[in-house]
Amino acid sequence: MIKKTATIVNKLGLHARPAAQLVSTASGFESEVFYTKDDLRVNGKSIMGVMMLAAEKGTQLIIEVDGPDQEQAMGAVLNVIASGFGEEV
Amino acid sequence: MVNMYQKRKVVKGVPISFGIVMGRTRVILPGDIKVAEVAIATSSLDNEIQRLDKAVAKTIEELRLIRDSADKKIGGPVAKIFDAQLLIAGDYEFLKQVKEQIIAEKRNAGFIYNSLVKKTTNPLKKSDDAYMRQTVQDIEAVANKVLSNLGGYHKKPEVKFPADTILVGKSFTPGEILSYRRRKVTGFLIGEGGRNSHMALIARSLLIPVVTSEKIWTRVPNNCRIIIDGTNGIAIINPTDKDWTEYQRRRRRQGPATISRIKKLTQIPPQTADGEEINVAANLELPGPVDDILSWKNIPVGLYRTEFLYLEGDDFPDEKSQYEYYRGIAERFARSEVVLRTFDLGSDKFRDNDDTIKEDNPALGWRGIRSMLDMSEVFKTQIRAILRASVNRNLKILLPMISDVTELEKAKKLIHQAMLDLRRRNVPFDSQIKIGIMIEVPSAALTAEQLVQKVDFISIGTNDLTQYTMSTDRNNFRVANLYNSYHPSVLQLIKMTVEASMKYNKPVSVCGEMAGDKLALPLFIGMGVKSLSMNPTKITDICRLIKKIDSNLVYHLAVSVLSSQTAVSVTRKLQSFMTALEKK
Repeated sequence: MIKKTATIVNKLGLHARPAAQLVSTASGFESEVFYTKDDLRVNGKSIMGVMMLAAEKGTQLIIEVDGPDQEQAMGAVLNVIASGFGEEV
Repeated sequence: MVNMYQKRKVVKGVPISFGIVMGRTRVILPGDIKVAEVAIATSSLDNEIQRLDKAVAKTIEELRLIRDSADKKIGGPVAKIFDAQLLIAGDYEFLKQVKEQIIAEKRNAGFIYNSLVKKTTNPLKKSDDAYMRQTVQDIEAVANKVLSNLGGYHKKPEVKFPADTILVGKSFTPGEILSYRRRKVTGFLIGEGGRNSHMALIARSLLIPVVTSEKIWTRVPNNCRIIIDGTNGIAIINPTDKDWTEYQRRRRRQGPATISRIKKLTQIPPQTADGEEINVAANLELPGPVDDILSWKNIPVGLYRTEFLYLEGDDFPDEKSQYEYYRGIAERFARSEVVLRTFDLGSDKFRDNDDTIKEDNPALGWRGIRSMLDMSEVFKTQIRAILRASVNRNLKILLPMISDVTELEKAKKLIHQAMLDLRRRNVPFDSQIKIGIMIEVPSAALTAEQLVQKVDFISIGTNDLTQYTMSTDRNNFRVANLYNSYHPSVLQLIKMTVEASMKYNKPVSVCGEMAGDKLALPLFIGMGVKSLSMNPTKITDICRLIKKIDSNLVYHLAVSVLSSQTAVSVTRKLQSFMTALEKK
């Protein structure tokens, strides 16, 4: 299991479209992906879960990835978050 | 118990979608989401899970149908609204949780599903961020469908309504607007929803009149007479017979039946009594049912706004999706021309929850071409998408809010760069594409001679030109009376622009609200304007009036009007001319 922290950088935060993008990124891997914000921990392959984070710009998320392809999955997830989901930052 | 309106009540609300409809009310109460809690025997838990799966499958099916029908009727970008809902409906992890809890708590599927939905939406509802709160609506729209498909939740009967039914309710989802439309509902009075909400966009593209007004809807009785004037944002509950006759008259005049009226037009482009051809075009903002008739009649689009692509989505769409959207437009109007105006966004139109761009005075702020020159990548992406869609050679590019030559040159440089990008990528486009500017700022009108030499065509935006010339915010009721497009100062600027364009032989068109105003028509023709672009509802009347006008006669009218000192005197002259003309 690997654990890292990432900050939401895009202006509008983790609303519907980025949430969908994040979920489909995570779903492409076998590993389990979890996000934690404060004391809320959600499954990274669930759009409802990710939306529930209500993560605005500047929010710090703890990312936990566990599974056979955890390195690649973590890389992909960090990448899509850092890119601001292709949105304005 | 609230007091119902038993007598005549005029409500001044927000105009969401234009047109007048008259009929009887049907009040739709918000679906009761209180789902009964039922204990389930261990032996029936499997069955309960199967019921959930079936309800979810049915919901996905329904959402796909709605999306496809939206796709067919309105086009891609609107249909995308339903894509997010589809993702929510099919959320595997969420459903897994629901199923686990059904088994653990031995409760009915509806109760567990609903309580987990609430657990998800509660933190979102509390968010300060308007955009986060909006996602709640998407989740609830899906949840209501699933619960309704599960049964055990008060289901709205899927009946056809009597003719001329006007629905009154707290809020409607875009999907509901579409489905009620199919069931013959003609208009809406709604409690919630702004002009840029998904509901509003759908209603406008389906030409369904809608007015919103907070709190009013709870006091509207069922089955009472009602008039909805979506153009002016007025609803009259229990109208008098006099109201009724008056609105019947107005409706005949403006008409929701734009399509059938345009169908009857015989001569396009229309000619004046002395044989002068006047080019009448439509202003559009998103694909809709009027498009077909416009295209069939070879009526061009003089102003296609593109802001919708940003307002509807979560962000500026990428080049590919914009390209697909513009190509759709170019194909729909294959036999006529379409003027695409690049994003005209002001700080008032950027996301309302983003305070980094909050301005004290958005009208004088970072808007139109100004914001696009600063966001040059966004601008170039849009230009590349338009260029790629221009291979049929029927698209033109229009730049909004140009205030001087420097801005124009910067914009043209970016357009040039976009063309180079495409060349490098070996992507075909119309290299002769026409580039025009809006003249809607006094500084541009005053220097029109210099500007017109650097562009292919000119479009005069009378709404902003009036606002800036008169220094008046028309939405500010304290000064709204000063907003008058007929003020001699505004007319002078229009005249200067028209003359500059004629001097350099560049086509000039008027595209603000004034273009569809019958009173202004003789004046424009008298000034030498040969092209007008207006709301599609106005086209028929303007075309009919053009045929009655003698261009030599109105030349003298224009000279006389332009020498007026006040807006009152201008309107008086035009009105008396109109009275004489309509008697013809």
